[in-house]
Amino acid sequence: MKEQELIDLIEKHVKYEEGSIEVYAPRKLKFILKKDDLVDTLLFLKRNGFVQLSFITCVDWIKDNKFELVYGLVSWEHKLTVLVKTFIDRDNPKMISIMDIWPTAKYYEQEINEFFGVYFEGNPNMSKELILENWDSMPPLRKDFDPQSYSNEKFEIRIYDYKMEDKKKK
Amino acid sequence: MGEIKALQLFHGPNHPGMHGNFSVHIKVDGDIVVEAEANPGMLHRGFEKLMERRNWMQNIALILRVCVVEPDINEAAYSMAVETIEGMDVPERAQWIRVMILEMARIANHLMSLGGIGGPTGLYTGPNWALVDRDLILDIFEKITGARVYHMYIVPGGVRQDVTDEILKDLEKVLDDIEKRLPEYRELILEHPIIQKRTKNIAVLTRDQALSWGVTGIALRATGVDYDVRKYDPYLVYDKVEFDVPTVDFSDAYNRLWLKYQEIYQSIRIIRQVIEKMPSGKVREKLPGNALKWRVKKGDAYVKLESARGEFGYYMVSDGGTKPYRVFVRGASYPQGLLGIEKGLPGTRLEDVAIWLDTMGVCAPEIDR
Repeated sequence: MKEQELIDLIEKHVKYEEGSIEVYAPRKLKFILKKDDLVDTLLFLKRNGFVQLSFITCVDWIKDNKFELVYGLVSWEHKLTVLVKTFIDRDNPKMISIMDIWPTAKYYEQEINEFFGVYFEGNPNMSKELILENWDSMPPLRKDFDPQSYSNEKFEIRIYDYKMEDKKKK
Repeated sequence: MGEIKALQLFHGPNHPGMHGNFSVHIKVDGDIVVEAEANPGMLHRGFEKLMERRNWMQNIALILRVCVVEPDINEAAYSMAVETIEGMDVPERAQWIRVMILEMARIANHLMSLGGIGGPTGLYTGPNWALVDRDLILDIFEKITGARVYHMYIVPGGVRQDVTDEILKDLEKVLDDIEKRLPEYRELILEHPIIQKRTKNIAVLTRDQALSWGVTGIALRATGVDYDVRKYDPYLVYDKVEFDVPTVDFSDAYNRLWLKYQEIYQSIRIIRQVIEKMPSGKVREKLPGNALKWRVKKGDAYVKLESARGEFGYYMVSDGGTKPYRVFVRGASYPQGLLGIEKGLPGTRLEDVAIWLDTMGVCAPEIDR
């Protein structure tokens, strides 16, 4: 399948309200969709040969007060890679889990929940800790999390009063 | 009869069959695992956050530390993602050199994991032999790049410096040596009674399991599916070299080892073609202006490569600044390392857990990045 054929297929079969489709490199496409249209499109793609979910990730656009969720799909059959993206509200970030479509999504969603604080409805691992044990601050990959002030707050500041001049005198 | 309680055990972080600081919590009923849960996080270094605070070029020194055994794949994925966003062209010779470097890294990685099976099975001659031959590859890396393990050689725009003909001659000699030694590995490791007894029909993965979990690489190809990024979505100059993708129809621990062994032959074949066909010319495109003040165009891209363990990719976002806005590393062993352990380990015998983790290529640093 060529890139344009997939674009035509999507435009024909998926009823999405607004969005954009772009070919950004050979055999690689980008879709931007509304949040409500996302699951339908993903299901449609899965039925049409995109068997593999490569990754789910999140980008924090703090200036626009939005989170961008990116789903990376691969079709070995059509030799295409597709990024499906959607924007969700940053204040109360919620999304529907796609665990039932691709079981791998479970841990990607859990990781996003830990590092960005997005809640995925339907994922049983949302309250469990995966990587950050006993974390007590805001989700660390958000742009307003400052590692420097966090470590200053958490750990004692150690000052090493070793000077090069002292060494030279000796 | 009274009820038998399931016993909870900790497999790792310190265990001869574990690579990296990673542990698995398992519940056993007698000898059989009934429940397993991965417990990553002991090695988490926060690379993705750290990369947002470094320049585009500074990150070159950082990213390769994501995976210890095969660092070059990180450099290549990072550089190719930056080039895709920026729309940069890479000189022809640099692309051939990159293929050569990546295949050398694949041989080094496969030798290490082929010998590494000695850890969980108790055949300790294997690792010793394999590490000696891996060192020959590292010597060539040292001649080309100046470093043995972390090379920082593939950079956006090409590679850091050219390869001389003398080094290529040395590389040919090393390839001949390794090829001569490979039948001995077959006798020592693959046909050894310990390996035959401890890996055949053990840690079986079905095709449906592999596809539904999203497993890629050798573990998937052992189920008879020939999915390889180098063939299905050729990058660099992989479409100009001839090679086969070895597959088998039954994915058990032994067959996965067998595929690693076969892939070493294919990588040697690719490198020989690269040495023969490599054109001359420049190897690096100059960056516009100062490299430390370099601004990459606004945009995003996902680039995927075939690492020794499967599909490895970088998703990168640039907002037009001097630093990446967001970098996401798709580790090749993420699916089998978390979902695979949860769904695949139950039913295995306790002593086979290490063999399962080893031959499925679970690499902790890719999960804890």
